[in-house]
Amino acid sequence: MVKEIERAGIPVVHMCTVTPISMTVGANRIVPTIAIPHPLGNPALSPEDEKILRRKLVSKALLALTTEVEDQTIFEN
Amino acid sequence: MKLELGYIQITDIQFSKESKVENGTLFVDADAVKAFMYEDDDVKEWVKSFSFDIAKPGESVRITPVKDVIEPRVKVEGPGGQFPGVIAKVDTVGSGKTHVLRGMAVVTAGKIVGFQEGIIDMTGPGADYTPFSKLFNFVVVAEPKEGYEDHKHEYEHAVRIAGLRAATFIGELGRNVQPDSSESFETLGIKEGIEKYPDLPRVAYVHMLQSQGLLHDTYVYGVDAKRTLTTILYPTETMDGAILSGNCVSACDKNTTYHHQNNPVVAELFAQHGKTLNYVCNIITNENVYLADKQRSSDWSAKLCRLLDLDGAIISQEGFGNPDTDLIMNTKKIELQGVKTTIITDEYAGQDGKSQSLADADPLADAVVTGGNANQVIILPKLDKVIGMLDYVDTIAGGHAGSLRPDGSIEAEIQVITGATNEMGFNTLSAR
Repeated sequence: MVKEIERAGIPVVHMCTVTPISMTVGANRIVPTIAIPHPLGNPALSPEDEKILRRKLVSKALLALTTEVEDQTIFEN
Repeated sequence: MKLELGYIQITDIQFSKESKVENGTLFVDADAVKAFMYEDDDVKEWVKSFSFDIAKPGESVRITPVKDVIEPRVKVEGPGGQFPGVIAKVDTVGSGKTHVLRGMAVVTAGKIVGFQEGIIDMTGPGADYTPFSKLFNFVVVAEPKEGYEDHKHEYEHAVRIAGLRAATFIGELGRNVQPDSSESFETLGIKEGIEKYPDLPRVAYVHMLQSQGLLHDTYVYGVDAKRTLTTILYPTETMDGAILSGNCVSACDKNTTYHHQNNPVVAELFAQHGKTLNYVCNIITNENVYLADKQRSSDWSAKLCRLLDLDGAIISQEGFGNPDTDLIMNTKKIELQGVKTTIITDEYAGQDGKSQSLADADPLADAVVTGGNANQVIILPKLDKVIGMLDYVDTIAGGHAGSLRPDGSIEAEIQVITGATNEMGFNTLSAR
């Protein structure tokens, strides 16, 4: 899906936990997430802390989306 | 460490008022098994009722939804007991002497997660795809108490313990029976092994354990594998009940407890030990859902392979999808240590077999054995008797809406069949 949407000219950020698979399938902008059963949240946190975590992840994804990349890039920080 | 397995061949199972093994027939008092299972508090708390049945090879019987398959055994000499850390007290197993009731199994069935349990057909085309159709099966069907839906982890635990207790009860009946045959397996210390086989390549088995949580779990001496670091076992520990299945996951490539007890990679490496290779040890490693865990566990696999000065490693996977990454990480990192690898996996290549087989890949993973394509479609004819229930056939992983057809037959992928594409190579499917 990532590749097909990019083929249509729209940049994509792939948010995923298993970044090696994302690299193998050819995503260009990759944002690592928390865990496979809960990529964008963490049930171990309080709702307040989890909201902060989720906002951070989305902000990071938006930053990745607007960043020019030369090659496949994992946005670690 | 040296283990002797004494095989008592079971050629029939019958219900009886007295439990015993006599001339190859297992007589079972189901009420006594039930009472033994209910001695456990968790079983008492979560299991409303048990029913029992016997399924024999060639009978027109379908068992579903299948949770686990367990071979009954009993420790007759040496330290430890069956299922250490879970049923027996924690003690290192894998030495001394163990009696095995060969040719039979305890099968646990009933609803837990429904769509993640499997099918065993005792006859017809489905029987060819599961090794358990060739066994005499003592089937325990568990019925949960009301409200279990919100406590599935507790209920899975209770059914897991119940199955192990049933196998322990039956295994005990073989304690004073003279085995029909026996075999010994021995692993030497590192230095002894090098001195004894100076010219043979040093090979270990990297045994990957399903540990994704959410009822996809394996237990080692009672420890949940997702909370373990990659470590070393004597191969005979695995043969002696150290590793147990707690898996409710796609039936075709989950390793049941029976698979762990009878791991064909271990058997084949022992068969070659001292002839073509020096079988050094087993390395067990998990398949967790956090990337950091995957990285750490595979780092440790590679580190141990180097520390043991291996020449080669056989790696078996369990499950599919994200564990493909654990598999590839292990393979790549071990190869980069200068240790040759061969991997055993299975494929999800689509019903036409034309899709990419694994979710991850690497050029260093260039020696691959497949257990078959789990998406292959099969039609299972209606059988005369169902042990368990057909409620989940449409939703079982590998099934689809309409899988259970009006005439009672089932159209589904072989993913639904317990052990069909086993990644230890336990079954017969492969490709060349």
